[in-house]
Amino acid sequence: MAANDKNSERDALAAEYVLGTLDKTEREDVERSLKTDETLRRAVADWQEKLSPLLESIDPVPPPPDALEGVLSRIELESGGPATANVVHLKRRLAVWRGATAAAAALAAGLALYIALPGAPAPQGGQFVAVLESKDQDPAFVASIDLTEGTIAIVRLASQPARGRSYELWALGAGRKAPESLGVINASYKIPVQQLGATDRASLRETVFAVSLEPEGGSPTGQPTGPVVFTGKIVPLSQGDK
Amino acid sequence: MESARPQEDLADLLRRSGEGDREAFTVLYNRTSAKLFGIICRILPSRELADEALQDCYLNIWRRAGSFDPEISSPVTWMATIARNRAIDIRRLGAERVSAGSDDALDELHSLDAGPHAAAERTEKLRLLVHCLEQLPRDAKDMILLAYFHGWSRQAISERLERPVNTVKTLLRRNLALLKGCLDGSE
Repeated sequence: MAANDKNSERDALAAEYVLGTLDKTEREDVERSLKTDETLRRAVADWQEKLSPLLESIDPVPPPPDALEGVLSRIELESGGPATANVVHLKRRLAVWRGATAAAAALAAGLALYIALPGAPAPQGGQFVAVLESKDQDPAFVASIDLTEGTIAIVRLASQPARGRSYELWALGAGRKAPESLGVINASYKIPVQQLGATDRASLRETVFAVSLEPEGGSPTGQPTGPVVFTGKIVPLSQGDK
Repeated sequence: MESARPQEDLADLLRRSGEGDREAFTVLYNRTSAKLFGIICRILPSRELADEALQDCYLNIWRRAGSFDPEISSPVTWMATIARNRAIDIRRLGAERVSAGSDDALDELHSLDAGPHAAAERTEKLRLLVHCLEQLPRDAKDMILLAYFHGWSRQAISERLERPVNTVKTLLRRNLALLKGCLDGSE
């Protein structure tokens, strides 16, 4: 009896995993288990095949004509290919950031890689980027400031704060007497540039962004109480903004 | 997608992509991207996000092509799974707009039986699946289709069908088990 229950529980998990209705924790648990649980893997594959006939009824939709170029340039980036691939890639990213209403953490991964490459050319003015990193780790956040749109988009690339803790973003320097909180960072969010106080390019370039590790919900005091884990300064994206 | 070519060609293109063959990968993309984009667009409401999801998905396909095993699944199912998963991940990161377009979603689902994919053109597998779905209570069938086609979460389903989230979970599990019984029983 117990074995049957376990089987039907496992099968139910597999079914909902394939359907996509598991919540985040359940999904992560399944993904972890899939690495080692052969029976679960088979159950998931079985459900994928069972439901896949539904895909027949979905009409094809022609993708945007430059999507393939985007894919190939990402492949180039990954394999350390020629620099021209970067410009194409960056143009696409910026266009998406302006238009997207819900930013996804993974969207900026390519952008950060691009920014990290020395001497990378940039296509447009009015945009600044800060890549927030620490000495020991890969870039963790990218803050993209668009003066034309008037927004700062913060995207988290990799790190997750420990349970019960939150990352909080601060602006320092550029005449500030004390760090100024820009809020707690969720997976991604946008804030109006006005909150930064300084919107002229010179002040922006002097601004240092920092991320500290705070109790869940942010600092209770209005000043950083936890360790600063990432910092970064603004980099202009266009040569004309130097 | 050219229906004249067998799926074996796609498996071969995947294998070669896994070996780093960019030309094979480009052919694979040209033959499958419209299908995958169709799948993604039903899950993500914004074209910009759908575009990004498509690119993420093909990057994943490139990275994982070497691990594709034709014994375990068909190429299209394998690729479509990657597309659905990525689209749902991105959908979960944004606010789900339940009310906008949700009536369209249900109308569309109910036309699964009629519409352009007339019964005569369906594969036997699809006919069996539709038959088994029809055996389920209406709400349960809607939940499954809303989740599969449109990537709705339990929360979104709960709001639209006006049932508590836990009920949605229970109903899903019970009816997915019934669905499996019907599908397996017919083999």
